[in-house]
This record gives sequence, structure tokens and C-alpha cells, in this order.
Amino acid sequence: MSIREILAAIAFLAAVIFGVAGLAGLFRFPDPYSRLQAGSLLGTTSVLSIFIGTLLLSPNGAVAARVVVIMLFFLISSPTGSHIVARFTWNIGTHPWRPKSEEKKNQGKTGKGKDEAAPEENP
Amino acid sequence: MSIETRWKLIRFFITALSMFGLWLIFTASFELFSLVTGLGGSFFVAALTYEIFIPRHQAGINFFVPRPFHLILYLFLMIFFIYKSSIAVLVAVVTGQVNPRIVHFRTPLKSDMARMVLANSITMTPGTITLDLNDDHLTVHWFFSTTSHSKVAGNEVKGEIERHLKKVWL
Repeated sequence: MSIREILAAIAFLAAVIFGVAGLAGLFRFPDPYSRLQAGSLLGTTSVLSIFIGTLLLSPNGAVAARVVVIMLFFLISSPTGSHIVARFTWNIGTHPWRPKSEEKKNQGKTGKGKDEAAPEENP
Repeated sequence: MSIETRWKLIRFFITALSMFGLWLIFTASFELFSLVTGLGGSFFVAALTYEIFIPRHQAGINFFVPRPFHLILYLFLMIFFIYKSSIAVLVAVVTGQVNPRIVHFRTPLKSDMARMVLANSITMTPGTITLDLNDDHLTVHWFFSTTSHSKVAGNEVKGEIERHLKKVWL
């Protein structure tokens, strides 16, 4: 194996690890926002790693340029997709989940969602 | 030539040029037939879509044409940031040590393009998702929040990205 192939194999391995962790995070957290955090970010990294691996394996400059363009489009489209899901979750008024220890500390303060966050808008 | 017509022409040619550049990269051939078809096609598509690609209210060329050197630098920086934050989220998935919270802050960036790129970069980078972008006001779900203070949170979430983005677009 040449050095390029070894580097590509490392990139593919990273893709597998990130993908599995993203899938685990999707089931581990209780609310849509946190699930999106894990799912979207680790999913993006996983696919990006695969693209980097293909970039390393590409036979000539023309193929590499195409892979770079696909990478750019993916970097635009992937966060836009997860943003749209998060935005609709926010607009229908879902409260963000807080860990248990925090909830006890400020009881009566949580669970207001939008109203609680609103005063911070004006600096 | 009125200023309105000139602005239309500038937008049209920038759209056509970016289409043609993409065509060159995707076909990767310099035969005459391919070049002529690509040029004709990109001018046709640009005539139909330049209003959408570059809206009329953009104030100047610097608002949507990036500075190439800084753009490439920014892309590499983004890839580094993506991996850094992925590892942080990976650790959080395993340990479960998170503190999610919704924060609000503003951005001093002027152009629509820079704001869009900032929102997308925030969605990808330090464990944050942009929920809403309203002119210069961002609503962000922050996974590892340390504070709910608007200015401090803004600095921590977007500080470094924004500083580099200021050099790419106006």
C-alpha cells in the first residue's frame, strides 16, 4: 500500500467512527435539538471524511476538482438541512431539554422556552 | 446607461461566469463543442436566474464576491474546526456531559452572504445549531453552554469564525 492509500484508509476509518457515534447520539439524547446536534454534525464529519479519502485516492486533477466542488456543495447543503429542521422545531415552541442537576437548581425558571430567552435579545 | 441597467449587467455576468466556471470543472475538457455549449447554457441559465442568484438589493460587488485567498484559508480553517467540534461532540455522546441552552446574540457582519455563511458555520462548528437568523440577530442552540449572557456567548460561539469571515466578505 502506498502512503496515499494508508491515509485514505485512516480517513475512511474516521468516517466509520464518526458515523456510528452520530447514530448513537441520535438515540441517546431526549430532545430534538440535542439529537440534531449529534446527528447532523457527526453525520457531516463522516461524509466529509469519506470525501477527503476519495480526494486522496483520485487518479488525476480533473477528478479531484470535481470532488472538491461536491465537497463545497455538501458543506453548504448539510448545515442548511439541519438548520431547517431545528428552525421548525423552534417555531412550534419546543422547549430545550436541560440536564437534571440544572433543573433542580433553578426550579420554576425552566420550561418557559421562548419567553425565558426573550429578554436577552436586547443588549 | 442608467445605474440600474449597469447593475443588472454586472449581476448577469457574474452569474454567467460562476456557472461557466462550474461547467469547466465538471466537464474538465477544453474541446470547442463543450466550451460553446457550456457558454451558451450558462448565459441562458444566468438570464433566467440572476435575480435569484444575486438579489437586487445587494449594495456592491464586495458583498457577494469573496476575496479568493481568504476564502481558501477560511475553508481550511472550517475543516479544522469541524473536526475539532466533532471530537468534542463525540466525547459528549460517550460521556453524556452536556449543558444545552438557547442563546441570542448579534453579528456586526453587513452582507447577506457573510451572514448566511456565518449561520451555516455556526451550525457546523462548536456544538451549536442556528435556529433563526433575523437580519443581524441569531438564535442559537448551544450544546456546551457556559453562560447565557448575550455578548459573552456570542464571543465564544462566533468570535473566531467571525473575525476570519470579516476578511472574506465585506
